[in-house]
Amino acid sequence: MITKKNSITTFQIFFFLIQSQVGIGLLSLPNVVQATAKGDGWISTILAGVIVQIMLIIYWLLFKQFPNENYTKITIRLFGKYIGKLLNCIIYLYFILTGSLALILYINCISLWLLPLTPVWVLSLFIMLSGIYLAISELTIIARFYVIATFMLVLLIFLSLLTYGLEKDFQNILPIGHSGMKNILMGSNKSIISMLGFEGVLLIYPFINNKEKGMLKSVSFANLTVTALYTYFLFLCLISFSPNQLKQVREPVLYLFKALSYDMLDRIDLIFISSWIVPMTTSIIAYLFYASKSISKEKSYKKTVLVNAIIIYLISIYPFDENMITKFSTYVTYLSYFVVFILPILLLTLTLFIKTLKRSENA
Amino acid sequence: MKKIFLIYLCFILVFLSGCWDQSLLVGKTLINGVSFDISEKNELVAAARILNIESKGGGQFELTDELLDVKGKYSSEVGPEINFKMPGKIDVSKAHIILIGEELGKKGIHPFLEIFYRPKDAYVTSRVVMTKGSAADILAVNPQKSPIAFEILKALRSSETLTNIPRQTVFSAWSQIVDPGEDLMLPFVEKVEENRVSIGGVYLFHSDKYTGYSIPREKSTLLLLLTEGIQKEGFVALNLTRNRSTAFRVTDENRKLDLVVDKDHRKIKCKINLEIDVDLVSYSNNFEEKTNVKTLNKDMSELLTKEAKELTKTLLEANCDAFGIGKKLASSHPDVWKKLDWEKDYKNVQFEPKVKVNITKTGTVF
Repeated sequence: MITKKNSITTFQIFFFLIQSQVGIGLLSLPNVVQATAKGDGWISTILAGVIVQIMLIIYWLLFKQFPNENYTKITIRLFGKYIGKLLNCIIYLYFILTGSLALILYINCISLWLLPLTPVWVLSLFIMLSGIYLAISELTIIARFYVIATFMLVLLIFLSLLTYGLEKDFQNILPIGHSGMKNILMGSNKSIISMLGFEGVLLIYPFINNKEKGMLKSVSFANLTVTALYTYFLFLCLISFSPNQLKQVREPVLYLFKALSYDMLDRIDLIFISSWIVPMTTSIIAYLFYASKSISKEKSYKKTVLVNAIIIYLISIYPFDENMITKFSTYVTYLSYFVVFILPILLLTLTLFIKTLKRSENA
Repeated sequence: MKKIFLIYLCFILVFLSGCWDQSLLVGKTLINGVSFDISEKNELVAAARILNIESKGGGQFELTDELLDVKGKYSSEVGPEINFKMPGKIDVSKAHIILIGEELGKKGIHPFLEIFYRPKDAYVTSRVVMTKGSAADILAVNPQKSPIAFEILKALRSSETLTNIPRQTVFSAWSQIVDPGEDLMLPFVEKVEENRVSIGGVYLFHSDKYTGYSIPREKSTLLLLLTEGIQKEGFVALNLTRNRSTAFRVTDENRKLDLVVDKDHRKIKCKINLEIDVDLVSYSNNFEEKTNVKTLNKDMSELLTKEAKELTKTLLEANCDAFGIGKKLASSHPDVWKKLDWEKDYKNVQFEPKVKVNITKTGTVF
């Protein structure tokens, strides 16, 4: 049942999406995009934003047909019980694996920059405990927390203004378009991966109040904000690092803060990453929530969250080496193509097809 | 309810019992300056100024500054070597100064910067300074007042605000070294007396190697005004003719750099127009004559233009692209840039510097 108690407003969905999208991906994005798009990386993120927007519109069209259902119910309605369930398993697997991957990268980053001697199982346990605590509660409570947590992002954007004291070189991005369309598109592909999280709309759509009116607007606005944020940080890194330097640095956004120094304050990168823990955790909580929502029934929700949290925890403490993480992330990427892009488009075309079929039958 | 409380209590007991990542100040030796040299036997010699912190109890600490040197074959070996020699874990997170000897500079400085920008504790805002002669000698100087690293840092800071030397940290030097379209200039220090170290001027680099060309302190301000721009202010002294000399403060500048590219002949002309506003600080001339601002403007402009020409000539000889012309070409004329072999073609760039002086205040001199 969807009651007023567990539904969220369009205002909250805006923050919900921002928090589930922004996370660990941003820190290394400039380096990843540099490999292909070079100085045109900022075009890549804008393009990625456009693609995400197109997907959001597709989701919206899909839900116009099924206003009170979520992703997993639609698959069953359209494909029948068996194929539908199989598809739902894939969807569930996608959410669990993406959550685990985000957690693994997050822990790697924390132990690289902040706590090199703390064992992985402790870090992971802390994150998952707070994750369970939040994900187990109502959607409204999660959404409220995300609204508050977004203030942290605003603070971090202010912190980034400090980096204007560093030497900036706009020549790095000139001439615009020098790396060619193909490379820019490849860069967008990479940026979309770090923007994932918007697909959560597929699962929380039925919980939105007043969805006919403001839903598409606030979702698009969230996408605009995230795209702007990513483009901003990418641009900042492009003009602050020389191109070859950017290739050498794993987390350029953090290095940017490392280069700052004041008489009273030093190593702002450590302050930044300590605060960045919040957006990173919120995206993991979001994935835990999505994964649980995608398979659970109303009653068993709490137990599902616990089981999923334990699965994610176990995956995260498995001692992956770097090659395995790369492989893992390529698999998750392929899975995301299916779950986030191909399947919703398929569902939409199928519904529209059935609808026209019915109409022609009636006529 | 009680059960849950007990579970929580167990968790709290487990997690609050200790911290894996604590590092106590007492257990550390802080490095405040490092130097790298190459010996005649082609061995790497590193020295470090170490601040030993010893607790005397009651919140009191005793600080002692000592010098330590180690030999090694390559850069990565040196850090652990120092660690073995010292009690306590070394901490480079506050290594303010990295001194690199002249001879080592000629072999390339990138490996030594690398150990300061890659590790997590590294302090990328450390200043990188070259030394005339051996760097360890400079680090061994014992001024009475405070550790030598801080003395050098102080001198660097004041020279930077006077636009005398470029502000080069590990981060900025690293950025310029890996960029093919731009070359590095690093300040150098020299030992002047038994216990004194002073800023010598600027060393010119090509990629990460010292070219052997240097610009003395007297002329480096003009070079920096031309290439990097003014910091807070600039201070220049000029000897106009035999008995006329002047010292002035540059308060503002307007710099224009135009590239004229002849595509067919691959000729690149670089026009630099520099206009500076100056305040006269001193002007010694025939005291019976009145100061004529107009002629003085003209004389100074001519002299500075001449000096600027010499400077650009030195830059070409050193193959040091301090203006970042390669980068400008790559962004404004990408098709030309792709055809060029910048290693060789940089030498064919024609510089046409022009300096115009504009005296805004004559101050107490008139």
